[in-house]
Amino acid sequence: MAENILIIAAILILIGVALGVLRLVIGRTVIDRVAAVDMLTVVSISLIALYAHVGGRAIYLDVALVYGVLSFLAVLAIARYLEQGL
Amino acid sequence: MLELFVYLLCGSILVSGFLAIYLDSTLAAAVSGGLASLFAAVCYVMLGAPDVAMTEASIGSGLSVLVFLYAIRRTAG
Repeated sequence: MAENILIIAAILILIGVALGVLRLVIGRTVIDRVAAVDMLTVVSISLIALYAHVGGRAIYLDVALVYGVLSFLAVLAIARYLEQGL
Repeated sequence: MLELFVYLLCGSILVSGFLAIYLDSTLAAAVSGGLASLFAAVCYVMLGAPDVAMTEASIGSGLSVLVFLYAIRRTAG
């Protein structure tokens, strides 16, 4: 049962990465690409958390934590740039 | 299953690198470069190096994009 849930989560993460990269490639404006990068960061955090559970190593969750904080920072910097503020 | 993820991440790194080279907008190119480093950090976690991944995520994906944006604003905009 739990393994089925993990496999479904892995398939959903795979579809998410594929769709995010597709949006990044065909994105018309810069805003689309920034939103795709933000979504890919969230999907990557979930991928690292899934791998921490599957591999049985809790130290990988620290990487996911640093990731979450810094994705917020990068998107905030890009938003400041687009508002002519940086 | 996990090798499939590593292959997908390597392909995404290649796509992001080519986008960073061939895009016209400098902002989109900087964002694509940051994304390549983000995927590289996930790849490092998969290969068993969490400390390298943490450094790559903080410097490559966070700080370098910020420095690039600052430089673009100071030179072109």
